[in-house]
Amino acid sequence: MRLTDYIAIAFRNIRRSKLRSALTIFAVVIGATSITIMLAAVFSLKGFMTKQFEANGTFQQVEVSPQTDITWGDNNGSNCQDCVKLTDDLATKIGGMQHVVGVTRQTQVGQFQALTYGNQKLRTQEMSAYDANGIIATQVLAGRDINATDKTGVLTISSDYADKLGFKHNYQALIGKKVGLMTQGWYNGVGTDPLQRFNDQQAWFKAHPGASGNDYQPAPVTLTGTIVGITSASDRNYVIRVPLDWARGMEEQQNVMYSNQKCDRNGCTQGTPTVTTEDELAKQGYNSYIVKVDESSNAAAVAKAIRTNYKIGAADAQTEIKSQLAIFNILGLVLGGIGGIALVVAAVGVVNTMVMSILERTREIGVMRAVGARRGTVSALFTFEAALLGFFGGVIGLGVGYGAVLIANPIINKQLSSNNITSSNIITLPIWLILGVVGLTTLIGILAGLYPARRAAHLDPVEALHYE
Amino acid sequence: MAENNVIELQDVTKTYRLGDEVLNALDNVDFSVRSGEFVAITGPSGSGKSTLANIIGGLDRPTSGTVLIDGSDLSHVRDRQLSDYRNHHIGFVFQSFNLQGTQTALENVMLPLVFARMKPKERKARAKECLEKVGLGDRLKHRPSQLSGGQRQRVAIARALAVNPSIILADEPTGNLDTARGEEIMRLLKDLNKQGITLVVITHDQTIARQADRIIQVRDGKVAH
Repeated sequence: MRLTDYIAIAFRNIRRSKLRSALTIFAVVIGATSITIMLAAVFSLKGFMTKQFEANGTFQQVEVSPQTDITWGDNNGSNCQDCVKLTDDLATKIGGMQHVVGVTRQTQVGQFQALTYGNQKLRTQEMSAYDANGIIATQVLAGRDINATDKTGVLTISSDYADKLGFKHNYQALIGKKVGLMTQGWYNGVGTDPLQRFNDQQAWFKAHPGASGNDYQPAPVTLTGTIVGITSASDRNYVIRVPLDWARGMEEQQNVMYSNQKCDRNGCTQGTPTVTTEDELAKQGYNSYIVKVDESSNAAAVAKAIRTNYKIGAADAQTEIKSQLAIFNILGLVLGGIGGIALVVAAVGVVNTMVMSILERTREIGVMRAVGARRGTVSALFTFEAALLGFFGGVIGLGVGYGAVLIANPIINKQLSSNNITSSNIITLPIWLILGVVGLTTLIGILAGLYPARRAAHLDPVEALHYE
Repeated sequence: MAENNVIELQDVTKTYRLGDEVLNALDNVDFSVRSGEFVAITGPSGSGKSTLANIIGGLDRPTSGTVLIDGSDLSHVRDRQLSDYRNHHIGFVFQSFNLQGTQTALENVMLPLVFARMKPKERKARAKECLEKVGLGDRLKHRPSQLSGGQRQRVAIARALAVNPSIILADEPTGNLDTARGEEIMRLLKDLNKQGITLVVITHDQTIARQADRIIQVRDGKVAH
């Protein structure tokens, strides 16, 4: 029999029992649709995440922290006792390691409570500073990033602050504007007059005899800075960034001590109050380093070397991402499994349909055999018909899946663009998925058709011709 | 075997097993049909005449013995050869027509040609020719349900003719028809026989059997010559 005849006869038979065929195909469609959507979503998101990390060079970075058990992006500052301090000296040492291109020292500045602009006052959350050597890439929406020549008095704010200040669609207008950085009361870094504060405190305690030390609340100070850039809030939200030099000043501890005390039998004289300044950043160490390596393939090795050489925490993004992406693999397996179960059910439906169809067409099979159809021909005919049910189910399922992607992508795009991510249409249907789904459903059709086809082929033609 | 014997059965036995009982449907049957002959096979129901027809038609195989059609032995060939034999040499005409209800007369007649791998165009032409031969040239697109019983049987005869068989095997061809239509069908079959096709008709109707060149009586699985 000719291939075109197989196709024509299979089509005719599928058309003949429209409802039954449609229901059978529907079951295949459900399986194919779920597999399509699930796999497309999982693989596209995985690819998207990997691409995002590759794009900002994260794979070439190693994050170093005083804690030994940190994972990438999990550095929440450090105050631990046994930690090795991340000093300037250590940064230099790591900078000299093999494969290391550069080191960015990073610190979080505490002791600030608000960002002020005009009469607006926004609570501050994160204030950070790091070497402006380009290792940490920041997406700037207006103005510029902090650069290496900036010393003090300049800052960048993330776009969500700008939005709250009323510059939502006009970030450029904020550039060059002066804002205030309001400190906590006990702040005694740069920008304060320690002697003045000391005298105020003395005067207050004199006026409040018997008051305990905690009762005194010094007035906060407001430092003034000029906005040079607006950074994308999708990178990091509610963040203020200042030059590292300024941050060092902010973290300084300016204390007043009495010097030139003279003591005799009657006691000591009060002496002269003198200001001492301690470089707290040098003393406590940085929060973290971001180490850039030459090739992303060396990141894991460098991280390991840092961990073993200096007994500090070091994590590379790749190792971390790999374990995170493994979740996607598992998710893909689970979701694909659900689709697979749907397809198994669909296969049972195909078997059922074909067996029914053969019962109904027993006489017809008898006639076909009588006029010269071989067993193999009858078998192939029914297998082909079952394969066609699977094929149609796969194609329609893909179509529905594609429709779902068309609906999902704009929604995701909107979500992404509201976070200032420019990627669009991240869910795609790769050709291997298209061919794979149609191939799989067709194969399932063929497998489901094997038993009914065998049954049809082995019908006794004499009995089949007299079947009622 | 005689030169011009198109069908020759030698010592053919067919047994069925019904539980513990062994049933001899055909018991050492010997007979032959000459090329171009019209033979009627008669006998009461259950006599084995249908089994005989099925074995001649290649729908069934004998338990033992030899079936020679045009000199080649059918008793031990594989399904493939047996199917091809049915396709090329035999035209079946059944009592209940056995047409495909969803298909037109033309499509029904084309069916054997599909299995013969004939090209669609030739197939159509040949089927049309056969339908014209049985007087249904104007009913090509009709479905069986739109045709009378006699017309349906003529479509079945056209289908049997399609592959240009050497033998037409008709099992009670007039059984579902009234006398007038039955006579028409017999006239048509006899015409084809006159054109050289060997005709084997299985019937219990003596008026039909008497029209044959020869009557083979089957009783209890044995042929009474």
